[in-house]
Amino acid sequence: MGFLGQGLLEGMVVTARNFVGSYFDKERMVTVQYPEERVQTPENSRTFPFLVFDDDKDPAGSMRCVACKICETDCPPQCIYIVMDRDEKGKPLQRPKVFDIDLSVCMQCQICVEVCPFEAIKMDNDYEKSQYGRFDELVEHLPVLLKSNEYYNKIKPTEATAVDAKLKLEKEKKAKKAAPAGAKPAATAPKPAPVAARPAPATAPVARIAIPDDAPFSPEQRQWLSGFLSAVGGSGAGVSPATAAPTSAGEAPAEPPAAPAAEAAPAAEAPAGGWPWHDPGLAMPQRMDLAKDTPLADKLMAAMAQTDCHACGYDCRGYADAIAGGAESDLSLCLPGEAETANMLKKLMQEAGKA
Amino acid sequence: MIQPLTDAPRFSLTTGADGLIETQTLEVSIGPQHPSTHGVFRMDCVLDGEEVVALKPVMGYLHRNHEQLAEKMVWLGSMPYTDRLDYFNSMTNNWAYALAVETLAGIKVPERAEYIRVIMSELTRLLNHSCVIGFMLQDLGAWGTPLLYAFRERERILDLFEAVSGSRMMCNYMRFGGVRVDMTESDLAVAKDVVTRFPRFLDEFEKLLTGNEVLLGRTQRVGILPKELAINAGISGPMARASGVEYDVRKVDKYGVYGRFDFRVPVGEIGDVYDRYFIRVLEMRESIKILQQALRDIPQGPRVAPEAKLRNFKIPPGDGYGRIEAPKGELGFYLVSDEGGKLPYRYHVRPPSFVNLTTLEDMCLGHKVADVVIILGSIDIVLGEVDR
Repeated sequence: MGFLGQGLLEGMVVTARNFVGSYFDKERMVTVQYPEERVQTPENSRTFPFLVFDDDKDPAGSMRCVACKICETDCPPQCIYIVMDRDEKGKPLQRPKVFDIDLSVCMQCQICVEVCPFEAIKMDNDYEKSQYGRFDELVEHLPVLLKSNEYYNKIKPTEATAVDAKLKLEKEKKAKKAAPAGAKPAATAPKPAPVAARPAPATAPVARIAIPDDAPFSPEQRQWLSGFLSAVGGSGAGVSPATAAPTSAGEAPAEPPAAPAAEAAPAAEAPAGGWPWHDPGLAMPQRMDLAKDTPLADKLMAAMAQTDCHACGYDCRGYADAIAGGAESDLSLCLPGEAETANMLKKLMQEAGKA
Repeated sequence: MIQPLTDAPRFSLTTGADGLIETQTLEVSIGPQHPSTHGVFRMDCVLDGEEVVALKPVMGYLHRNHEQLAEKMVWLGSMPYTDRLDYFNSMTNNWAYALAVETLAGIKVPERAEYIRVIMSELTRLLNHSCVIGFMLQDLGAWGTPLLYAFRERERILDLFEAVSGSRMMCNYMRFGGVRVDMTESDLAVAKDVVTRFPRFLDEFEKLLTGNEVLLGRTQRVGILPKELAINAGISGPMARASGVEYDVRKVDKYGVYGRFDFRVPVGEIGDVYDRYFIRVLEMRESIKILQQALRDIPQGPRVAPEAKLRNFKIPPGDGYGRIEAPKGELGFYLVSDEGGKLPYRYHVRPPSFVNLTTLEDMCLGHKVADVVIILGSIDIVLGEVDR
């Protein structure tokens, strides 16, 4: 240290340099004149969540959200409120009727995005959300929350591309699973039945299960269901498909002329032999009625919402098996099924004498 | 009916035995709404003239039931709430909580995630220490200049945090068994840039402050915390080290990958406000050293351990304590898991600010009111953490 006040003077030199620099030195010109200039937010930047839909012409119909309520449950400050849409008969439609996010409660933590298995909820980067009120004005409803996939691609290109690729892959997988089932209508046609039935033993698990024509399904449900069944049969997922396969495969070639009847016959006994009645489009009593002769695990699965949302930590099949096998004791894990499922599971377990 | 004022004199001067005017002590309540208290915090000072003869810190104005909330929430749910403890350093808070859960659940963190954690927490230390010095000087009367210089540097670090984690302050970045988003090459390049620039800023900062006669006059020999008291009161962090306690959780526990880095722990001699200022400058220089090594050595690999699930994460019964060297001191989370293991049975935070604040009176006694403000500033408290 030199003379008294040297430190002060040195400090003032620094201040002066910064002051002058703030006019000329780009490093020191840091202020952004906000309404005129805007900071370009980085891609990862997050503010509030929004819901993604795929089809511009039909936002409400093509939204990815299936109202499984995982985000509602896992949201730390509990700012999400979801009501699942149901038709006039009370069937769940697997889309939200009400989806509210309270922006005054939301703390922008992104946990809803992380836990969503359907890539349906994403973080926006719109930071200009000021309102002239602090109650209803700050609650965002479904129409405001829905934003297109293009918008998502625009604000977060890298992330959205990865998500799109993942969804495409999943879709292809699903289509691949459904493909053998799609070929089945040819097999059910009466005339070429023997011809079509011939490859059946080779791909035995595929062709053995048929859906009766009078089963209460819409065409899409029918297609999906047959895809699911072939997948279940193909992987042999513990529903004793081995026993079901030989009988149906043996039966089909045996009575080729009476194809429609032959179709009906294995289908009638199929619930007992192999596959769960699990169309979530049906109301609960109908589902339980259809599944009443099946093993416990199938009954349990029929009681669930069957969105495969993994909220319970399993897929629906796995959860049902785990409960039936005694590995899982918590019956309230099915979030999309709400209290209806939980009560039915409890009832079923009581009936089975396990709870 | 209001009593009419009597004509009795409102002030009385009595003379003591020595013939001088006898004075009374005066109680002054600084806060809870006062800019120098760094939040809502009250100091009940008893003054004799301008000298402090007693001081009582009053806390709890920002109590948010953090621990009880966490006990009603799944393990992951508390992670964004830890950001709000010490809202200046959300990264280190995240790490402490993640570390406690990992200790409890026995999760091994991948190498790359450990390095990212070190990078993030050392950057946090840089921004905390530089800004704390700024705030302290603001309390001293250096209105704005050092603080805004510090904020200018902090901005670069916050921009990096935003680019990586999505948020500038409430990062919510760490996850059990790793981190939420991987750092890309460009993020690492920005971090390197920040680290190469920072020493230049630090030199400038020191030129502005370290030799400044006003700063020396106001801070030296003010608010001395003796070494014995620091140890007995459980003081940690830069405050303890300024008093000569050589204790740094990074060195003691070697949590994460801190055992691999070459850095020193600066220790002060006297334990006054100036030492606490200077320790922080030195620590920033050591942090830069750690950052350079971490950015050089960061390996490729997964960002999160595969066994750590996001949903339905359950922990077998047991208890665990995870602690790290947060910029303010030892930050620890004590967690107990019981049957079921979905929620913590007990969740306790050991916040450094709170423990460091307990010695405020001992440091302030005998000093002027104006010094109380500087001493409080040198403790480096954030009320979000003190009150929880």
